[in-house]
Amino acid sequence: MRLLKIAFLNFFFYSFFFIFSLTAFINLGILIVFLIPVLPARRIFKLLRQAIRWYGKVIIKILPFPFVRLDHRNLGEHNPPGPYIFVCNHRSASDPFLMAVFPYEIVQVVNIWPFRLPALGFIARMAGYLSVRQMPYEEFAAKSAALINQGVSLAAFPEGTRSRDRSVGQFHSAVFRTAIETQAPIIPVCITGNESIPPIGSGILHPGVIKIRQLPAITKETYRDFSPYKLKNYVRAIIAQEVKLMDQANEKL
Amino acid sequence: MTEAEVIKLTNEVFIDSFEIEQSKLIPQANIFNDLGLDSLDIVDLVVALQKKFGVTIRDDERVRTIRTLGDLQNFILTIKKEIQK
Repeated sequence: MRLLKIAFLNFFFYSFFFIFSLTAFINLGILIVFLIPVLPARRIFKLLRQAIRWYGKVIIKILPFPFVRLDHRNLGEHNPPGPYIFVCNHRSASDPFLMAVFPYEIVQVVNIWPFRLPALGFIARMAGYLSVRQMPYEEFAAKSAALINQGVSLAAFPEGTRSRDRSVGQFHSAVFRTAIETQAPIIPVCITGNESIPPIGSGILHPGVIKIRQLPAITKETYRDFSPYKLKNYVRAIIAQEVKLMDQANEKL
Repeated sequence: MTEAEVIKLTNEVFIDSFEIEQSKLIPQANIFNDLGLDSLDIVDLVVALQKKFGVTIRDDERVRTIRTLGDLQNFILTIKKEIQK
């Protein structure tokens, strides 16, 4: 029965994924070509990032339904106004798509490989996503601070690579330096349940429930006197603790 | 400068600049995996070490081969000996 579910999920998901993606990219491309002469660049970026969010929502909520479900909870309802820096643990290639659940204009801080994906990488580049390893730190610092100052939130996976054993790896400090520079609130995001959606080294999706917990913001009042090293480890400890609790709860089910 | 002094001063840099507990500062500790420093933290570390020991190590190619705290302490010791000669 489980094998049948996996077969159904992957057949329907990938069939519609390619058709939907192709249609979306063609229409988006045509729209952008027509809008470039009439709208300012800032407005076009905003529209493009909005379109990416809608695309992501379809990919994560509609195409794999009912085999893959999302359980997203915002535990920081009294957060200060954004823009925010979303800091997430990283277990699956589906993580970047999950950023669509956050109702903000977001630019993702990515590793090299997402930029190499056909079509998706091109769109990410067009939307101003930051490939942190392909630019000098000074350029990253300037671009990320400029985005925050424009009201654009950032989303980052500071482990830099997917965890193979469910532990939360060491964090890179680049995005935390941006937080200290801009004093933007940091929102820790804990993601579990998508370890096999898809597993590392495979494209096969497995049925399951992806849980996303958006924790209360860590504000400048908390991290004002922190070094980047201390801040990254402070946030890492919070995420690791919550992820551990989520994993324990998942195992009891 | 003796080996013990180099170890003490190097550990002080980790404690003062990164607030790492003394108990974690063992020679076998991997600077990246165990102590959690990344490439940007290394820049901060080099600046702090240069200030602490009064040496210039930023452009020294041997820095790239350092993996553990013990490697770093040996490197500093070597640099200090080279300067004394």
